[in-house]
Amino acid sequence: MTKLNRREMAEKTEKDLAHKVLDDIKAPKDLGLLRCVQCGLCTSVCPASRHSEYDAREIIKRVLDNDETIIEDEVIWNCFYCYTCHSVCPVGNSVCHVNQILREMAIQKDVGKKQIESFMSFADSYLEEGLGVIPQEYQGQLKIDYGKHWENLQENLQEVREDLGLDSMYLLPEAKETVDKTLEAIGFKKRVQEIKDVRNRK
Amino acid sequence: MEEIKKFIPTEKITLFRSCLVSAEYPGVEASTKYVFDKLGVEYVIDRNQSCCTGLGHYYDIFDELSTTALAARNFSYAIKNNHKQYVPMCATCYAILKTSAKNLNEKEDVREKINKAFRENGLEEFQYTKGDIDPTNDITHVVDVLYYLKDKIPEHKQRDISGLNIATHHGCHYCKVHYDDTLCGYRNPEVIDKICEVMDSPALKWYDQKPRHCGGGFRQRYANRDLSLDATVDKFLSLHREKIDVLLVMCPNCQVQFDRYQYVLEEKTGDKHYYAVLNIAQLVALYMGADSYKVLGIQTHTVNLEPLLDKLAIEYNPKGDTLHVTEE
Amino acid sequence: MSQKNRIGVFLCHCGGNISDYVNLEEIEEKLSENEEICSIKHHENLCSLEGRNIIKDQILRENLDRVVISACSKITHGATFEKYIKPLNPYLYEMPNVREQCSWVTNDTGKATKKALSLINSAIESVKYNEPLKKIPTTVKDSVLVIGAGISGITTANSLAKQGMKVTLIEKRPAVGGAMIQVGKVFTPDKMSEDCAACLLNPVIDEMVHNENITLLTNTVLERSTRNSGNFDVILRKKPEYVNPEKCTSCGNCTHACPTFAPDEWNEGLNSRKAIYKPFPQAVPSTYTLDDEACIKCGACINVCPTNAIHLDAIDEIISLTVGSVVIATGHQRFDTSKRPEYGHSFYEDVVSQMQLARLMGVNGPTDGHLQVPSTGKVPRRVVMIQCVGSRDQMPDAHKYCSKVCCMVALKNANLIHSHYPDTEVIICYTDIRTPGVYEKYYKYVQDNGIQLIRGRPGEITREDDHMLVRIEDTITHTKQEIPTDLVVLSAALESSEGTIDAAKTLGVPLTEDKFVKEKHPKMQPVSTDIEGIFVCGTAQGPKDITDSIIQANTAATKISELVNGGLEVEPFIATINVKKCVLCGTCIDNCRYQALTMNKHSVRVGPIACTGCGDCIITCPEEAISIQGQSDEKLEASIAGLLKDKPDDEQIIIAFLDDIGNVSANNMGINRVACPSSIRIINVPFINRVKYRHIKYALTHGADGVFLGEYPDTPKHNDIRENVKVMKKHLEEDGINPERLLIHSVFIPYFRGLANQFKEFDEELQVLSK
Repeated sequence: MTKLNRREMAEKTEKDLAHKVLDDIKAPKDLGLLRCVQCGLCTSVCPASRHSEYDAREIIKRVLDNDETIIEDEVIWNCFYCYTCHSVCPVGNSVCHVNQILREMAIQKDVGKKQIESFMSFADSYLEEGLGVIPQEYQGQLKIDYGKHWENLQENLQEVREDLGLDSMYLLPEAKETVDKTLEAIGFKKRVQEIKDVRNRK
Repeated sequence: MEEIKKFIPTEKITLFRSCLVSAEYPGVEASTKYVFDKLGVEYVIDRNQSCCTGLGHYYDIFDELSTTALAARNFSYAIKNNHKQYVPMCATCYAILKTSAKNLNEKEDVREKINKAFRENGLEEFQYTKGDIDPTNDITHVVDVLYYLKDKIPEHKQRDISGLNIATHHGCHYCKVHYDDTLCGYRNPEVIDKICEVMDSPALKWYDQKPRHCGGGFRQRYANRDLSLDATVDKFLSLHREKIDVLLVMCPNCQVQFDRYQYVLEEKTGDKHYYAVLNIAQLVALYMGADSYKVLGIQTHTVNLEPLLDKLAIEYNPKGDTLHVTEE
Repeated sequence: MSQKNRIGVFLCHCGGNISDYVNLEEIEEKLSENEEICSIKHHENLCSLEGRNIIKDQILRENLDRVVISACSKITHGATFEKYIKPLNPYLYEMPNVREQCSWVTNDTGKATKKALSLINSAIESVKYNEPLKKIPTTVKDSVLVIGAGISGITTANSLAKQGMKVTLIEKRPAVGGAMIQVGKVFTPDKMSEDCAACLLNPVIDEMVHNENITLLTNTVLERSTRNSGNFDVILRKKPEYVNPEKCTSCGNCTHACPTFAPDEWNEGLNSRKAIYKPFPQAVPSTYTLDDEACIKCGACINVCPTNAIHLDAIDEIISLTVGSVVIATGHQRFDTSKRPEYGHSFYEDVVSQMQLARLMGVNGPTDGHLQVPSTGKVPRRVVMIQCVGSRDQMPDAHKYCSKVCCMVALKNANLIHSHYPDTEVIICYTDIRTPGVYEKYYKYVQDNGIQLIRGRPGEITREDDHMLVRIEDTITHTKQEIPTDLVVLSAALESSEGTIDAAKTLGVPLTEDKFVKEKHPKMQPVSTDIEGIFVCGTAQGPKDITDSIIQANTAATKISELVNGGLEVEPFIATINVKKCVLCGTCIDNCRYQALTMNKHSVRVGPIACTGCGDCIITCPEEAISIQGQSDEKLEASIAGLLKDKPDDEQIIIAFLDDIGNVSANNMGINRVACPSSIRIINVPFINRVKYRHIKYALTHGADGVFLGEYPDTPKHNDIRENVKVMKKHLEEDGINPERLLIHSVFIPYFRGLANQFKEFDEELQVLSK
């Protein structure tokens, strides 16, 4: 027998997913999530929707349906963060922002941490130098894709920059120190450790 | 010239450095400086500035609070230096800084949390006061400045670059994130096109997929390589159909996608057509007579620029490039 | 008031409604101490005929010159007592509202009696300042300017002319008929069919052309308008008449000879026309016209004109008129689709608008009614229509509203294609199909005919080989699709036309946030504007179909007829200007949003129909030369003084100035027996900005504990009023008065319980403050 979903009339004790999303720090103040009429414009401009199982409109549908399983669904990791949906939505919603929030909810659980742990060398480099670099884990594939020229560039970067008359790309020593302190103070280091712990648990 | 609804600076600028420009296409920084100097733009580069976190932010490694706190730290330096006009070279830096300024201005709890963290850890100097940075008027992209000064560009003409078949590709994080602040449209972005026009090298009015993204997609390029490249192919084939000579970009991340992956894409699609990938600052520098290796830094490009220079009859010393080696 | 008044006070029991709660004997006793009161009478029901006799008898017997009737609200029985006080002038009485605003809201008899006495005292003090006034009879000139000769303008003009009024109908374009003449086919509900628009419109146009009361001026725009005591002095500009209509025989030789081309507006730019041309074969007027922007003045046309009708050196004609009313029927335009480059209208010739499609199918269109794909000239194998282009879109360059007619337009054109080219597939991509009323039947009928509907908003259109490609998600089947098609048709939003915005600006009529002409009240007065005498109809007021446009056009004509034929009498509470004080600076004229004031040689004149007595001008006048008849500052001050008369120290009194909406809300409090603190004493003012700082200061320094301002916020002056209150609070501080004693709050008619709570809270706050 088919089981129907009942929309109980009982008072809500817990906030539903849509309101959790709206209250998130990443949500723009005037996010039009609740105004969505499922017109599908987002899906038809979305590169991830075009090339994968991801469906931008469906993401919003599931959020509005209070379907918390979406947080654990692999599909949210397909968004390109290109903001095309965000820039054309007729009701001022932004699937791109909603996705970022869903991923952050996933990161609060192990399932999300697993998705990003391979990028953690970016965090390490940032903590060390105050600079972003390409994550170590993917360098191998890049060497294949970009060829020998790119390896030459990486090896001789300092020299190339000097030839171009450019100063060092690195931060001043005391600046690195305050970046480190800032990240400690705001809790970023703790976050990094928690994500890495998942890797170690594997 | 269409009405400009935001302030565009020509002085008191902090040229905000980008991690991808620094490590992948440093010639973009050298070209920007070259062009700014010619146009009389007053700017500083500050080695106290940290990277905006953008890539890490969109790998979902950096949380909103951490990114915003680092922005507050950066803002405090710029204010102290009396150079609070932020001008990034990268679309992601541009959008991240604007979002951070909005967070700090509009969300009192976020601002207070960050200030408290600063206060309790001896970093009082970084505290942010509401309104310190105006996201619309204090953060502009290099292309905004070039657009604003575009009528002065022909005064510095050294080379004829007309006759090229140019397609423009505007960075999504410039056009689409804070679209109210975007100059010359975002559904059919034209800000680079307008700069091309003054150099007598107009770009294609339209091509299939013009406003679409590059396909990089932050984590997708690495963790989801096939998906990323599939998405790039859409635009790649459209550019091939238009038989372009140059794809003009304004963001180093897009440059990576179309330059570093050009041969991969050719192999993937079996469709071959040479085109160069240049940042708009590099093209303006070229027009103003800059050296291809010492300013544009074309040796850092995966796709050789020399065929393009030949087409334009611009002389160069091939010895300037020690990075491209003939592979055995 | 040097000479003593002879005032009569009448106390109504209202069958116990008042007398059960208020001790009227005690009141009578107190009032009898006042020597200006010559007569005090009670009655069970003063509104009865017996009541009338008592009042009349006392007026004559005691030679009364003023009357106070303590009873119910003026809204209930004001008109009754106005008649009962005959032979006194009907403006020489006051009615303290002792029922709704006292006995019905106060439980304690002692408190109710005290409050009633204070309300009656207020009326006694106030009535001394009443002047004998007369309703103002007005006449409106029976000539009308109608701007725009589309279906709405022509309909209004015909109706007015048939009622004997003189109409000048102006049209910016060279021919009349507006959008309706262009669309080719229109949908007729009862027949489920598409009918010839021109065939329906032509009789209406004929009627207009043949009615001697109508002067039609094409190629003409409104250039200026000034209000002149109820009338409008307007200046029209008519484009040069290069082709003399008296001489032109419409032979067409000039068009053949002309070497210059321009895009053909009639066919929405799908083809070209000459610089000298006739807009379309059935154009009215039928004279040829010359596009002076395209014309190169080569003279080829002059050489071939057999009647010598062409003069290239003709100049503009300036026409000046005085009219009693103006109708804005300036219509709409369609959303600029180049703002949605992803739909490729500017880049691909096989993307067209619904109006272009209508032209492609029009028998007098560029293809003689044959539907062809522009790039190939072949009948399309498939047509895809995209709805909501620029409407239901909150982006700043688009429109949030639904433009109302596009669903029907698409269904109509889809069905037309289907019936002429059964092999052509038609797909409509929509978000919601909106076909209210009988239109829903047509929607189902069209579906039955095989037109396909896909629910989804397409993201982009591209070209692939010999056809277009529409990318869309079918949101019902959850399938992402690419639909190849020969032709794409965009349903672009209706938006306010340039002509509408220009006309509104010239006439000083406000626009809505969507830039349509703003009605006086969108629900209750849908064809009136804020300016008495200026009316709006058709799509100038908002998106609507032909039927609704015609209904509105006829309504506008009726409203004008009321003004002209109604023998209008208006209330005398309008601005009056003290000519001795007035320095003719014109500030009041600039600030009057109703355009009621005009400069007239050596004085400023008040238009009695236009003036609403709002009092804005009083505040702006630097010389204090303006007052509202029968509502002087002194009278308002006397009302306050009366309320505070003999106030004991331990009693708290709050004076509540309520505008008309607030006053009705307070009455509702009484009708629903919602308790209200007895400290509240209401003075009804026409608008809140009528209350000056001097009144507030007077109240707070003469015994009032607090002043409450109740304002209906949905007026254009709302922000000014709120700002003004801030300024007044600052003044209070400077004068050493606690600004917390002044409070402004919004009022709404149904929100009477909220108002009662506000009163209660303020009452409690003030009690704390006074400690």
